[in-house]
Amino acid sequence: MIRLQNVNKNYGGRPALVNINLHIALGEFAFLVGPSGAGKSTLMRLLYREETPTNGNVFIGGVNLNRLHAGQIPLLRRRLGIIFQDFKLLPSQTVFNNVAYVLRALGVDEKEVAKRVNSALAVVNLEHKFDAYPTELSGGEQQRVGIARAIVNGPPVLLADEPTGNLDPATSLEIVQLLERISQRGTTVLISTHDQPIVNAMRRRVIALKNGELVADVDNGIYELEMS
Amino acid sequence: MMRTLRIIRRVFIETFLGLKASGWSNWLVVSILAVALTIFGGVLQMTMSLKNLVNAWGSQIEMSAYLKDSYDPKKVANEISQLPEVRQVEIVPKDVAWRDMQHTFKIAVINNPLPNTLHVKLADPEQVELLATKLKLLPSVETVRSPLKIAKKITEVRHFLEIAGFFITAVLTTATLTVIGNTINLVIKARHREIEILSLMGVGHFYIKCPFVFQGAAYGAIAALLATLVLLGIHLYVDPYVKDQILSLVPFMPQNLEFSLLQTAGLMCALGVAVGAGGSLWTSGRFIKL
Repeated sequence: MIRLQNVNKNYGGRPALVNINLHIALGEFAFLVGPSGAGKSTLMRLLYREETPTNGNVFIGGVNLNRLHAGQIPLLRRRLGIIFQDFKLLPSQTVFNNVAYVLRALGVDEKEVAKRVNSALAVVNLEHKFDAYPTELSGGEQQRVGIARAIVNGPPVLLADEPTGNLDPATSLEIVQLLERISQRGTTVLISTHDQPIVNAMRRRVIALKNGELVADVDNGIYELEMS
Repeated sequence: MMRTLRIIRRVFIETFLGLKASGWSNWLVVSILAVALTIFGGVLQMTMSLKNLVNAWGSQIEMSAYLKDSYDPKKVANEISQLPEVRQVEIVPKDVAWRDMQHTFKIAVINNPLPNTLHVKLADPEQVELLATKLKLLPSVETVRSPLKIAKKITEVRHFLEIAGFFITAVLTTATLTVIGNTINLVIKARHREIEILSLMGVGHFYIKCPFVFQGAAYGAIAALLATLVLLGIHLYVDPYVKDQILSLVPFMPQNLEFSLLQTAGLMCALGVAVGAGGSLWTSGRFIKL
């Protein structure tokens, strides 16, 4: 589902990613780990085409992202669900409207919007908070709204960029377990994190970056081992 | 089809939300735009009226062609009226001219020394020199008398009015573009989170940028409406007084000189919407990075 071929990314001559080769299959669940500055965010930005590689190829579902022109980028992003560390919710909109926002912008009819939003809110256990505003929710609940928004369009790939960065350990584990449940329904999930306890608790595939290089890629891995 | 309509409906809703979010700054932009458009409309009406006046004076310019005795004035008049520079030809037969002269000046009875004369009115006063040259080349024409100096002055004034009108329009357009650009930039900054979310969730560029363009166009249309109301007030309550004053000072002023207010309103609306939408399009292209 996700494939990187000899990917390099430089910023003004400084390498951020060095010769990355990677393949993540459909429905797979993986952690992308590494210390700050390792290149995790750069790799995530390449996947949702916020950036392009200096050289090498990035594929999502067989589509070479290098070959997309500006008008095709929105079509790619509709096939991705993106989850952010800072949730990126609209404070003036209710939970329901935050999740529905993008569907409405895509011209989905109101009946279908209601159906999909309620279903997404059910997955994250927030149906009862549909009319609450983000400021009335805890951090974990806000992140669950972010997840509902990411999955509402039924994307085959979920990219989560430090989704537990602003959460306490217990809530972090809850969120990652929720993402794992979503993955079990056939969605490819890639979580970028430096949350060692979470990675170690989950014992799933761990892809480790250090100074822009892929230093480990281990199934059922743990953070410490792969980074040493 | 239904999907497209729903997207267009959402674009209008987003436009409305953008206007709502802009609050008091909407009125600031609309006021500045309305002032600029009122000046533009006023200048346009003034220059067009002056241009009409100049044209009316220009249309009264006529040349005199004195014919050789051996030629039939009707045939020559017919030949001259075919020239593209000519609007109207009037024959003054030598007998009529002589009788008038005798009547006016009480001249003694002698043989008529006057030639047949053609009074030629021009289609465009700028062509007086060209037409004089053409007439002089005709074998039937003895001499030509043309008001070259007046025609040149009229042409100069006309060109000055055109350049001044263009210059004022350019200055006002630049100023309003800047104001609209800054306002839309503020709106973009205020809504950057929505823009970022929409972009990352795969919403098309059209949907993201269009509300800003519509917002700018709405500013232009509202400002044009206000400017039209101001000009209408001037037209109804100030114009008649000014016209009376001018006519009392310049009684030979040609009538029907007003450039239609409807035309002015149409132009102001077109300019307002174009500047509003154009300024917003430019700003959203510059500041929304998708």
